[in-house]
Amino acid sequence: MILLIDMDAFFASVEQAHHPRLRGKPVIVCGDPSRRGVVTAASYEARPFGVRAGMPLAEARRLCPQAETVEGNPGKYIALSVRLLDLYLTYSPDVEPFSVDEAFVGLAKGVTLDEAEEIAGRIQSAIEERFSLGASIGIGPNKLVAKMASGVRKPRGRTALDEDGFRSVFWPREVQEMWGVGPRLAERMRSLGIQTVGDLARAPESALEAAFGVIGPQLREAAWGRDDTPLVPYHQTVAPKSMGHEVTLTLDSGDPAFLEGTLLRLSDQVTRRLRADGYSGRIVTLKLRNHRFETCTRQQALSSHTDDPQRVFEVARELWRLNWKGGPLRLLGVSVSGLERVATENQCELFDGDRRSRSLIEALDRMRDKFGEASVVPAGALTHEIKLRHVPFGAISTHPGNERRS
Amino acid sequence: MFESLNDPVDVLTAFLDGQIQPLRFRWKGRVIRVARVTGKWNRRDGQSRLQYFAIEDASNTSYELCYDPRGPHWILCRAWVGSEGG
Repeated sequence: MILLIDMDAFFASVEQAHHPRLRGKPVIVCGDPSRRGVVTAASYEARPFGVRAGMPLAEARRLCPQAETVEGNPGKYIALSVRLLDLYLTYSPDVEPFSVDEAFVGLAKGVTLDEAEEIAGRIQSAIEERFSLGASIGIGPNKLVAKMASGVRKPRGRTALDEDGFRSVFWPREVQEMWGVGPRLAERMRSLGIQTVGDLARAPESALEAAFGVIGPQLREAAWGRDDTPLVPYHQTVAPKSMGHEVTLTLDSGDPAFLEGTLLRLSDQVTRRLRADGYSGRIVTLKLRNHRFETCTRQQALSSHTDDPQRVFEVARELWRLNWKGGPLRLLGVSVSGLERVATENQCELFDGDRRSRSLIEALDRMRDKFGEASVVPAGALTHEIKLRHVPFGAISTHPGNERRS
Repeated sequence: MFESLNDPVDVLTAFLDGQIQPLRFRWKGRVIRVARVTGKWNRRDGQSRLQYFAIEDASNTSYELCYDPRGPHWILCRAWVGSEGG
């Protein structure tokens, strides 16, 4: 049996737990509330007003003006997430983090659905007692059923389903409720007459394959509540597919120097992560979003793998120059995919310049390891106001209006 | 709402059984007594482990303090400054 433990409105609930005066009130967790941005999380009290994660903060404030907005603290949430994983490990060695607020817990073979639900209840109580936080838990014979069951009763719900139970609960529901079926895929399914999860389960496999390729028959299996995806305990990590950073600017900016500085900062952050985790990548992807929320994503493959910030930046800048139409931008992102593990022994560089550049990068990494992320940043990224105060991540703010302030 | 401050503050601190406990601190000329620690977490910055505390005073006002062992010193990260609605 497998449990999926989903922390209820995690970020907002952490703030309510840490600050009792926020309990019972609508709470919106966001970036710096004095700037614009999007809702990172909304407490259950804010949700009846229509406030949702990902919504522009201005819209959320219009929908729920009485909500308290709290600046999110990613370091805090990650620290608590790790402590929650430690708690789950006291119940089973098979714990797989699924996101910062969700984790799969595998129970021993032979544990029945009823026994699993009883264990889930004990975990809920322990989370409540130790962290003053609520969790909803789905219980099932596989990850798919556990994941979908976790959403049946929220908050602080507990739902145990076997495959038959899964079918009786989900077959009447809209096909978009299937895990892995997004709005676009659901739209295409509806155009083929597949309205519900039950319709998907009963659809001919050949028709699904013709319409959706290999994923079609897989989704049909999933609609029957079948899934053989293994649970991967988090000490057996799975290689990431890509690494990226993106930033929503405080104000839309069409200033080339500011945007270029932002790309440099993002490229530096991405490659820093690559090096820290021992990866290099071959495909650089640039993401641009303008003030009309139109998003453009472009990518370019390199001739070889790299974790060099300058190489990634040069490609990202090239993509930006080719695809930016000169209008104000709201968001920029840089990611690197096509990852592979870097050999532990340093490769021999062909030219002296390469060797010196590598030595410099490694020296800067050591400085950041010792003194923190904000201790050294690329000069070209200092088109931003530097925030030297003691803040999480030693952040550099993104004020297009305050460029080159000394 | 909370105001982000990041102000260095003097904190009367107890070191008990290997644990750090803020007891009272001076801010804006006032001495604020820690009535309750409502949350704790840590964050690594370089080689240092910063310890954070969510606390309340006797009037249920919330604060977040950070102990930075590199000074050592304390930072008042943020404080509750009243409800946004009034």
